Amino acid sequence: MLSSDHDDLRLLRESARTLFERAGGSGRARKLRDAGGTWDPEMVRELAEAGVLGVTVPEVNGGLGIGLAAGGVIAEEVGRVIAPEPVVMTIGLSLGLLRRLCPDHPTMEQLIGGDTVLALAWQERGAGGAPGDAACRYADGKLTGSKAWVVGAAGSHGFLVVAQGAEGPVLALTEATAKGCSVDKRVQADGSSMGELSFSGTPAEELARGTVVKDALTEAISDTTALAAAELVGLSDRAFEITLDYIKTREQFDKPIGSFQVIQHRAVDLNVMLEVAQAGVREVLAQMDCETDPRVRTQLASRAKARAVTATKKITRDAVQLHGAVGYTDEFDIGLYLNRALVLSAWLGDDVYHRRMWFKAREQEGAA
Amino acid sequence: MADWNTMSDAEFRKEVRRFFETEYPEELCHLPHRPKFAEIEHWHRKLHAKGWVAPAWPAEYGGMGLNAAKLLIFYEEQQRWGVNRGRDMGVQMVGPLIIKFGTQQQKDYWLPRILSCEDIWCQGYSESGAGSDLASLRTRAGIDGDEFVINGQKIWTTMAHDATHIFMLVRTGPGAPKKQQGISFLLAPMDQPGVDVRPIRTLAGENEFCEVFFDNARTPCENLVGELNKGWTMAKALLSFERIFIGSPSLAQNALGQLESFARCRGAFDDPVFCDRFAQAALDVEDHAALYARFADQLKRGETLGADVSMLKIWVTECFQRITELMIEAAGPDGGTISPLQIGNVSVDVLASFYKARPTTIYGGSNEIQRNILSKAVLGLPG
Repeated sequence: MLSSDHDDLRLLRESARTLFERAGGSGRARKLRDAGGTWDPEMVRELAEAGVLGVTVPEVNGGLGIGLAAGGVIAEEVGRVIAPEPVVMTIGLSLGLLRRLCPDHPTMEQLIGGDTVLALAWQERGAGGAPGDAACRYADGKLTGSKAWVVGAAGSHGFLVVAQGAEGPVLALTEATAKGCSVDKRVQADGSSMGELSFSGTPAEELARGTVVKDALTEAISDTTALAAAELVGLSDRAFEITLDYIKTREQFDKPIGSFQVIQHRAVDLNVMLEVAQAGVREVLAQMDCETDPRVRTQLASRAKARAVTATKKITRDAVQLHGAVGYTDEFDIGLYLNRALVLSAWLGDDVYHRRMWFKAREQEGAA
Repeated sequence: MADWNTMSDAEFRKEVRRFFETEYPEELCHLPHRPKFAEIEHWHRKLHAKGWVAPAWPAEYGGMGLNAAKLLIFYEEQQRWGVNRGRDMGVQMVGPLIIKFGTQQQKDYWLPRILSCEDIWCQGYSESGAGSDLASLRTRAGIDGDEFVINGQKIWTTMAHDATHIFMLVRTGPGAPKKQQGISFLLAPMDQPGVDVRPIRTLAGENEFCEVFFDNARTPCENLVGELNKGWTMAKALLSFERIFIGSPSLAQNALGQLESFARCRGAFDDPVFCDRFAQAALDVEDHAALYARFADQLKRGETLGADVSMLKIWVTECFQRITELMIEAAGPDGGTISPLQIGNVSVDVLASFYKARPTTIYGGSNEIQRNILSKAVLGLPG
């Protein structure tokens, strides 16, 4: 398995970095945001051609089958250029679910090939909150009810919906343009949007049913949580680089501000925080590749997200402070990183939430 | 003698662990204070008989000859079991310097005496005007016939009141263009009229370190190690391994374990605020261990560590302090009590760990100095 192989991961990192830099780096994120806040479908296809989307899908199902640690490498590179493409969402959620539940379904190939993007609608306002708890109903090939916090709803071709069927949870697939399906967009800090979906007798295809849906959902969410942590690590890495460049060149009192000790010490603290986060998150991803117990995997993912959010919050906010007034302008890229960090931090649970989950799991393990 | 380096890591760890667990006296585990030699002499004899006093020294000088990977394991196991490092200044500091820069005669004379603890060493580096800015040191040594004559004073000299010898950095070439030049590395006996040792009482109420005054103290010229006026570079050359060791996770890990058992007895985990802070500390320790493993892997691959290794020390010492502060919070009204608290079958000396954590951000290059180093050597910040 690739995840333990140092050199292969390095090569993967280099090729992903080149691909994103060639496409325009973080400048591309700004353009897309200004153009309306979705991603570039061409870029999705280009990433697919490089094998990126199928990184964790087994080879027999058309992917690369090289594990979550490799997925983390890609996620870090996505984070570095704050690419709006639904990479982590596709690897972790849509393909994460389908490869576990229905690996032979034709949609798999379209997802891996970047021809289709599917957003996962699993949460509901007021529902229990556990994966698989749903009031939205699925019966006779139709969905009725509503789903909340659907990331990527705006640019997706369709939705994977976790609903309540006659005999427990169902995973259903519906098209974005299907009858009776409406999307209420909530604009996010980075210009992307999250969707509130409502269905009334919307035609949908059942992909899987029963407790397997719940189990696969738990696993897919753990994977995605850890991958989102890696995306945050990449984001922080680049935000720190930008800030370091800035304090080396910005002069006040006839000196670069980076020559002042108070600035230097703050920069060091951010650097230390970044290195700890990078080491912690990479270790988690490698361990998740070897771990089969879903409870342990969920706890590991919580550790990663708690660490990544703590670090990113501190790094992006201090980065703005170290930029001074220009840090508060839209013109400077550092603000794009802060805004993207806000969105990624809130997605699938922030640091406080995941510390609570991690601690709870630790207590349960101790009691067992 | 066994070639430890050919053993697998797991096998070696098992062997070291077995020895510590069966041979190290339980009442000396995790000693809250630095012991005088008499207190640990019995253990030192066992270690000496086993040939394990100097794990890092080459076998030809009576050491274990461990490579970096094995050495880390040795220290990890030592800290895990709470084995006191003993009076190891000789083994850790003087010995390696003599091995690297000393004459054959110096090696033959001093090294066996270090191993047997016939000589017990203390380190004379810091002065009241030369702490973080060590190169400003002013204690001077002039040559008189075949002896150096030493005048000045050293401070923060750990356990000087229980040492027979001192190794020191002294100024032998005053007026050199840079303050790092003109410094030499000298060995001197403590038991002589010109040396006066005054213990300093610490916040914890212990006499751990001392002031040492030199008033025409003497040491033979043959006790100069390395070249005259080249002591600074020599002393610095030895710090590379020290820097990962000082950033190892053990101290924080042990404190966390102690905090957890104590907090359970106190019912502190019923408080969600405490739970979050505990989780924060526990995750700080886990993720630090991941970073530590990255540096340790570098050593195991035979690479030299860069200046960035200092970040381990910054993170872990500050984390260690937070953990011991949480311990005080969990103690509530007992948070100011100096003696061990007995709760159920757990005995915890709350303040002992708090005090133990305080100097960790000061010694070995204060954390502020470490930040200066990182900002220049790693981040490339100017000035």
